Amino acid sequence: MLLEKGRISNFQLLILIMGFVSGTFSLMTPGQDAGHDAWVAIVLGLMEGLCIAWIFTNLSRKFPDKTIIEINTLVYGRYLGKCISILFIWYLFHISAIVLSIFSTFLNVEIYHFTPKAVILLCMMLVCASTVNRGIEVLARLSLILVIISITLICLETLLLITHMDLKNLLPVMDIPVNKLLWVSHSVATNPFGEVVVFLMVFAFVDHPKKRFSTVALAMITAGSFLLIIIARNSMVLGQAALTSNFPTYLAVHMIDLGDILTRAEVVVAIDSIIMVLVKVSVLFYGTVMGVAQLFDLHSYRPLILPIGILMVIFAMTNFGNMIEMFAFVNKGHVLYAVPFQIGIPLITLIVARLRGLPPKWEVEN
Amino acid sequence: MIALLVIGFVILAGWQIPYLVRKRWWRELIVFSALWSAGFILSVMLSMGITLPPITTIINKSITGLLGM
Repeated sequence: MLLEKGRISNFQLLILIMGFVSGTFSLMTPGQDAGHDAWVAIVLGLMEGLCIAWIFTNLSRKFPDKTIIEINTLVYGRYLGKCISILFIWYLFHISAIVLSIFSTFLNVEIYHFTPKAVILLCMMLVCASTVNRGIEVLARLSLILVIISITLICLETLLLITHMDLKNLLPVMDIPVNKLLWVSHSVATNPFGEVVVFLMVFAFVDHPKKRFSTVALAMITAGSFLLIIIARNSMVLGQAALTSNFPTYLAVHMIDLGDILTRAEVVVAIDSIIMVLVKVSVLFYGTVMGVAQLFDLHSYRPLILPIGILMVIFAMTNFGNMIEMFAFVNKGHVLYAVPFQIGIPLITLIVARLRGLPPKWEVEN
Repeated sequence: MIALLVIGFVILAGWQIPYLVRKRWWRELIVFSALWSAGFILSVMLSMGITLPPITTIINKSITGLLGM
């Protein structure tokens, strides 16, 4: 049953993926654990991320008009397929709740000190629910506007910080043990690049399946370049302080002081975070509700939006005991937790589909 | 607080359930009711001050403990 009537172009997919990836680094800066070698970790992480993308775009090219939920049922059969789909839906739901947790913590710590987290989360959830309710086309069109705003803000922040940058803060290069560098680069590969696996719920509604890998790769490289600019900028502006700060971008932009006229520009980072988290959570939210609807063969995913949104808010509120546990998960647990979902499920499904000769040739020809 | 929650959840149910019944979408009704009930019970527990287990922290501790990180 076709639950989504909308279709998006490859260009819209590209922008949507860029917005999705930016949703992570608008809040935190992945790879910052590598200190002034963070840019090396980003480059390595991007390369690993492209390998992950190759796996899941290949799977999607084999089944161009099917989501991962339908592919699982086709490849593994009704019961095992549904079990694997439940795991994948759980991952989307869980990541969405984690992003919301980080987002609400950021706003709570930096700006809205006295506002309950539940209020911040409910406001964000209602906007995301409204976006998801309008379907993938509206989400894609919205992301185009928001990504343009975000890119403009990043460029503006970087230009205004040029006077505070010190190139010496990037030296010495490769001053980090190789195993630590590889760990950090793998962490960058899983978050944000590997998370693009959620688009296995979206690819079915995109035109021209043959261009899928090139579109995803271009989006990842472009978003990765912006991440590289932000990381290098933060390192040059903050030096060692970038390592100790939980939200280094916010701290770096705080330094902007244009002749006492333009100060407190860090609120721009908060605006950027809000709009990019909106795109990221909406895509994850869309994947979750669409997944549940397909899992139970429903007529529409829309009745599920609000109840699942409420559950997401509850999970986001109770995900972590405190902020230290949150960063511990992002930097340690998630790096391994994500592997079965980002690499395991798509790779095994691709291999099993090849072995079983799926999809049948007559279906491909049709 | 709990009264507010109950009002919110009743409005949500009152808005969705008649629509699903009119369309005779029984499967949608069952899934919606299950999710709605879970959300309602957990929200009431939270508003009563009951601490829910931090699932992600438990997952993190299991992974790091298992691998001795």
